[in-house]
Amino acid sequence: MPQPVDVEDLRDRLLRAGYVADDGLATALACAVSLQRAVLLEGDAGVGKTDAARALAAVFGARLLRLQCYEGLDLAAAAYDWNYGKQLLAIRGAESQHERTPDLYADEFLIKRPLLAALGAQRERGIVLLIDEIDRADDEFEAFLLEFLADFALSIPERGTLAATHPPIVVLTSNRTRDLHDALKRRCFYHWIGHPSVEREIAILRLHLPEVTAVLAGDVARAAATLRQRELRKPPGIAESLDWAQTLALLGAERLDLEVFGRSLGAVLKYPEDIATAEASAERIVGAARTEGAA
Amino acid sequence: MNDRASVAARFDAALRARGVIAGTRRAGTFTETLRVLPPHDAEGLYWRARAAMLPSIDDLDAFHAAYAEFFGAIDEGDALHRLVRTIDAPPPHPGAPKRASLPPPPSERPATGTDAERAPTQWIAASLEERTREAAFEDLDDAERAAMLRLIGRVRIAVDARVSRRRRAHPHGDRFDFRATLRGAARTAGELVRRRTTRRRTRVRPLVFLLDVSGSMAPFARALLQYARVNAIARPRVRAFAFATRLTDLTPLLRRAGDERLMAAIGATVHDYGGGTRIGAALHAFNDRHAQRGAARGGTVVILSDGWERDDPALVGVEMQRLRRLARRLVWVNPHKRHPAYEPLARGMAAALPYLDAFVSGHNLRTLEAVADAIEGNVR
Repeated sequence: MPQPVDVEDLRDRLLRAGYVADDGLATALACAVSLQRAVLLEGDAGVGKTDAARALAAVFGARLLRLQCYEGLDLAAAAYDWNYGKQLLAIRGAESQHERTPDLYADEFLIKRPLLAALGAQRERGIVLLIDEIDRADDEFEAFLLEFLADFALSIPERGTLAATHPPIVVLTSNRTRDLHDALKRRCFYHWIGHPSVEREIAILRLHLPEVTAVLAGDVARAAATLRQRELRKPPGIAESLDWAQTLALLGAERLDLEVFGRSLGAVLKYPEDIATAEASAERIVGAARTEGAA
Repeated sequence: MNDRASVAARFDAALRARGVIAGTRRAGTFTETLRVLPPHDAEGLYWRARAAMLPSIDDLDAFHAAYAEFFGAIDEGDALHRLVRTIDAPPPHPGAPKRASLPPPPSERPATGTDAERAPTQWIAASLEERTREAAFEDLDDAERAAMLRLIGRVRIAVDARVSRRRRAHPHGDRFDFRATLRGAARTAGELVRRRTTRRRTRVRPLVFLLDVSGSMAPFARALLQYARVNAIARPRVRAFAFATRLTDLTPLLRRAGDERLMAAIGATVHDYGGGTRIGAALHAFNDRHAQRGAARGGTVVILSDGWERDDPALVGVEMQRLRRLARRLVWVNPHKRHPAYEPLARGMAAALPYLDAFVSGHNLRTLEAVADAIEGNVR
């Protein structure tokens, strides 16, 4: 039976697990958990899609199974494989003992990969299945996921269909390097994780980096927000501002100033063109970050 | 029929009226959501509707329009509205500012002598086809254009493939297939009788059309779009975009939409029909939103434009260089190139030239074959 999860409650519990979720994300996750349906999280790189799944696992005391997608990902790597060496030994062993050939497709020969393992969730210990960067996998894999997501079941030709007694919580993430098929998206709740507001980003920085002062976190969050409004190739995500704040703390900075700004840019921007753009307007960015902080 | 289901179904219809195809399955999900997690306030309802019914962030504006119409307006100054629009929406892309009026680019095309010979009544079917093959797309009358659009179906589909990481069973493959071999062995008392192997599959490379639909380019864009369409139907991984001052993704319409919807989408792109083109800005938007995310990676990008840039042509150079690093082949189609005296005087064109793999005219059916060659890398 689906257990309805209250949105506000889930948000508080996520916060305690170290994840700052906004209303939209908390709602999408609560819907997914309550209705036992997958949730698809899209957003720019570094906005915390993967961490949302980690936090969700922590909240429910569930095991996190992560499946990193890549082109060419196949069933043997994603769902299950057979232990061929062991099968071969079993055949030879039975032969030498003049016994009947054993059942080669028993559990002991089955190697469970994340998708199959996710079907084995227990009542007391659930499973969060993270299918990460699904856009990197190819169409064939997406098509295969349809059955899995619809019924939480897998067909193994030698064994028949294996279904989950306790459906896992499934989180899919995508960087949108390509559009996913609508058939897949229809089966999921959908949420676009945007860049955080300054307040939320400060909260995230403070939560993850206790060594960073409130003042410095404010400077970093505002500077990151300014940078995101510039025409950059890769606007900094939360992951980058975390790196940045940590770098600044390591450099012993108490506030963001022009000198440390220049020295630490490599932590937040990863394209030479972007760094040049930021350096060109360093004074304005640093100034804006600091004045708003004083106000 | 309960209330929740009827709300969900009618909201689905409202979305569809706005061009957002959510569908019955999502409406069912929405119904369930309302049952299991009844919202306490307007905001709660909004986020539930969005999580269940929004197919993609690209549909957000239309979704908001339908939502406001159906559930009541989202206030302009409302905190919810701000939250939705500025924080969670994807970063706004450099949209086209309202343009100042500028004279249309000169067509720089000497009058052709064929005009005088063109008395439509004299053409019988066979010569219609012949003429349709040779005449530039813009010189065709309605009947000829219709014939041309049909004939494009006969132009060779450009397929460019690479070796994939995926494997398939193959009798003379290069890798031993343990699983299949052992399956076979089970049938022969564990004796490995037949050795099974796999070989790598090939994967079709992406093909992207970027079509300048402004002013004089429109007839050529129409023809090339039809070509994009027959390709899209015949092979995977084809995308098409229209641009004039802003960029529109036509891909979802390529395979299914009728001519009217496609034309309407183009019309929306060219709200400033006949003006100059912001090629650099369009390329920039394409690179940021699509190419860098993988739409063009390892593939071929076909750009149709006369190269008349309304803004700074230097931007065209910068963005072409970027695209050069992402795509495998860059093909530029410029119908003006058919004239013997053509020189790339348009500054945008001059800026783009150093980055091209092929520069073709593609102005009629015959030269469209050359475009297919260029896509596959058979000509320079």
